[in-house]
Amino acid sequence: MMALLQGMDVWLGQGLILGFIVANVALGITGFSILFERKFAGRMQSRPGPTEVGPLGLLQPIADVVKLMSKEDIIPRSADKALFNLAPPLTVLAAVATLAVVPFAPGVIVADLHIGILFALSISSLVVFPIWMAGWASNNKYALLGGMRQVAQGISYEIPLLLSAVVPIILADSFRVGDIVEKQLDGNWFAFWPIGPGALAFALFFLSSLAESNRIPFDIPEAESELVAGVTTEYTGMKFGLFYLAEYLHTLVISAIAAALFFGGWDGPGDNDGLLWMMLKTLALFASIFWIRWSYMRYRSDQLMAICWKFFLPLGLLLVMASATWVHLS
Amino acid sequence: MSLPPDFIVLCRDRLGIEEPGVDGPLVPREQVLSFASALKDELDFRFFVTVVSTHYPAEEAVEANEEKGTEAIAAKPDRTVVMYRARRLQNAERPTSIAAFQVEVPTGESTPSLCGVWAGADWQEREQYDLVGTIFADHPDLRRIMMPEDWPGHPLRRDYAIDTSHFPWR
Amino acid sequence: MGHEHADAVDETQMVTVGGVAVPLTLTQTPWPDPHLDIEAYDPDADMMALNMGPQHPSTHGVLRVKLYLDGEVCVKAVPYLGYLHRGVEKLCEKLGYAQVTPIVDKNDYVSPMMNELAINMAIEKLIEAEVPRRAQYIRTICAEIQRVGSHLLWLGTFGLDMGGAIGGGGSIFMHTFREREMILDLFEELTGCRFHYNTHTPGGNRHDIPAGWNTKVQQVLGHIGQRLTEYEDFVRDNPVFRARTVGVGIVDPVLAMDLGISGPILRASGVDHDLRRDAPYMAYDEIDVQVPVQTAGDCMARYLVRVAEMRESIRIATHLLDGVPEGPICSLKPVKLPGAVKAKSGSAYCSIESPRGELGTYIVANTERRSHAQPYRCKIRPPSMHALQLLPYMCPGNNISDIIVALGSLDPIMGEVDR
Repeated sequence: MMALLQGMDVWLGQGLILGFIVANVALGITGFSILFERKFAGRMQSRPGPTEVGPLGLLQPIADVVKLMSKEDIIPRSADKALFNLAPPLTVLAAVATLAVVPFAPGVIVADLHIGILFALSISSLVVFPIWMAGWASNNKYALLGGMRQVAQGISYEIPLLLSAVVPIILADSFRVGDIVEKQLDGNWFAFWPIGPGALAFALFFLSSLAESNRIPFDIPEAESELVAGVTTEYTGMKFGLFYLAEYLHTLVISAIAAALFFGGWDGPGDNDGLLWMMLKTLALFASIFWIRWSYMRYRSDQLMAICWKFFLPLGLLLVMASATWVHLS
Repeated sequence: MSLPPDFIVLCRDRLGIEEPGVDGPLVPREQVLSFASALKDELDFRFFVTVVSTHYPAEEAVEANEEKGTEAIAAKPDRTVVMYRARRLQNAERPTSIAAFQVEVPTGESTPSLCGVWAGADWQEREQYDLVGTIFADHPDLRRIMMPEDWPGHPLRRDYAIDTSHFPWR
Repeated sequence: MGHEHADAVDETQMVTVGGVAVPLTLTQTPWPDPHLDIEAYDPDADMMALNMGPQHPSTHGVLRVKLYLDGEVCVKAVPYLGYLHRGVEKLCEKLGYAQVTPIVDKNDYVSPMMNELAINMAIEKLIEAEVPRRAQYIRTICAEIQRVGSHLLWLGTFGLDMGGAIGGGGSIFMHTFREREMILDLFEELTGCRFHYNTHTPGGNRHDIPAGWNTKVQQVLGHIGQRLTEYEDFVRDNPVFRARTVGVGIVDPVLAMDLGISGPILRASGVDHDLRRDAPYMAYDEIDVQVPVQTAGDCMARYLVRVAEMRESIRIATHLLDGVPEGPICSLKPVKLPGAVKAKSGSAYCSIESPRGELGTYIVANTERRSHAQPYRCKIRPPSMHALQLLPYMCPGNNISDIIVALGSLDPIMGEVDR
């Protein structure tokens, strides 16, 4: 096996093996992040969260997965079967594929593309498409409404997301994620330097990606008190589970990308660089997404659009100009 | 709470009734609309409280009995008595008070709907139609509100047996 | 920043309608037609009829609303009731006056003390029974504590409507229900039941205050008063909450009076009306009830009124607890047989201020010789039904998210709407 791998092109070997490992680890972490979120939420609400299954409730995700897999798979008779079945795996795919360009440690990256960031953002924006497919293929008014809202929200928030991601690109003068991280080594994290535009760009990126992955306060497509379950109304069993897995996975991935773009990726204090620091930063951002989720209610869809077009977009343009000016002057 | 004095004056002027009871004067059907409008516009009873319809089955005439000293009572048809209640809110000059009046509607005939006077009469009259069977003429949308649309009979009537073997579900 | 609403009260321009002062701005919009003919409205428009069915995560019980939507904007709303109709009024005709209390408990299932109070006051008016002063105090204290519990539940479910069970709404829901549990524990000590107490009876109460209850109530209400400040900070200054509730679901006070709506909805639209102060019953003549009034008429105003009412209820209950007079708690002998309480003739209407508005009961006595112990007709005037009648007037022109929030702020309880 090893001889076979060494015989293959290093890029292919590293990409395949590492990609396999990364994808599985990410899916595993996502499974436990569901438990983490529920415990976090419980603590915020003065209650313990899941404690029954396994010690401290640690086997809860396994119980959830078993429950979901054992449910009957119901497809509405008038639903478009092909699109209906295709939508859940596509959302997961779009979320996982983005992990290909995230640097976990110096040199440890699945695909070290020259257009790294561009690839990441393009693939993660593909997640809009399968969600709309699910809404349309369900042949259900609630799902359709959810799908339409998702499309409007998803494509609108692409723009501030890209604009805010352009700031580290300009500051590092490269699309390659590895270059961006290397430019931030030894504490020159883009979130803090240059003072001002960096922090604002991070905030903009963070909030736009919350909107992209349908997290509260921007989760109108899945607004359960209005649209029952929004886009996922007609889904049962593991397909339903895949949608939520994809949402958590997407959240994890954007935390990882934000950590790489703005907080120096695997940069640690002094000379201790490596995987541990990357994981810590990712998990810190991940936890803050939960914190926001359990504190806020959701915005109405027209307020959402107003925030994007009237506030985020001009701010993004200003930030790009500011960072370009900074680079030019220094 | 006793009826306010200006309401008693209204009863006397419009209907010739000197002492309305607790549930108000019995208003003839032709005068219901004008009486209610006067209540709302002239006396400011703008707050709609409720409308209650009570079913009274037919009663036979009772002859006078000289030994017991009771008088003759005329026969009464199968009828529903609709009671309307409206409230006047408090302000600096007067406390809050309730006015009421009743309309007697023989079964099968109708009484004018007061939706034009108080918007709140809409659903309440529908409920009384649904449960007791009183028909309100000129109601914009008189259909059942509590029971299913195809339910037979009016449940709150006195002749509607409560422990019937009629099983409503199909 | 959070006090903008309260400050605006003094500067609002008021106009007098029917002798009552109402804010001018709220009376400007014309009322939509609730019986709009959809076919004739616009045969070419792409109208979607969305059924918010009886099962729905947020319609506060089994309510079905058929919304005709033009895009995302509602054109007509048709509510369908009766899913929870249990024939309470017919049942009462078969039961003795002392037996109707547990049945009526289940109307407004969130605040059972109010239902019991309303029906027993009507029965007492009918049989002309006096209620001893001690029982009056106990009834008033229970009513005020119940009001706090009911508004806490409303606050929790209102957050759910906006934020979802998994999300920010869930947090406020968990917190308010934790406080409500303390209130239910108090009532359990008093009556033996956490819910549906059956403690009021014609002539007074069945359960007396146990030893140590006073101090427990003071503790719990003091604790809730502190928590209320936390909730206000969490909710009122939350920018998303403000964005969802300010300017949403505006209620015209003239329409509200026409429909028979009272309670927090009417008070949030600028009308100063509260039965506890204007037509005092039980022990309310001992207290100077401060009635909160807002003039904006939107969901935020209703929220502010209910929170202020909670504080006021806490104040009233703690004040009354200190001065409960000694004496009997029921003027009639304890009822052992269903036929013990009899009314030979007459009728009575009695109304109280429930957390939703004017809750009234109308009873007609049975004149038939064998049936003096049962009512001839018992009608309950549910405030939530009148509030729901606002839906066909309030929905047109709004989109679904706003309709859900506005419906939540009306606080309808389907148990009393359908009975």
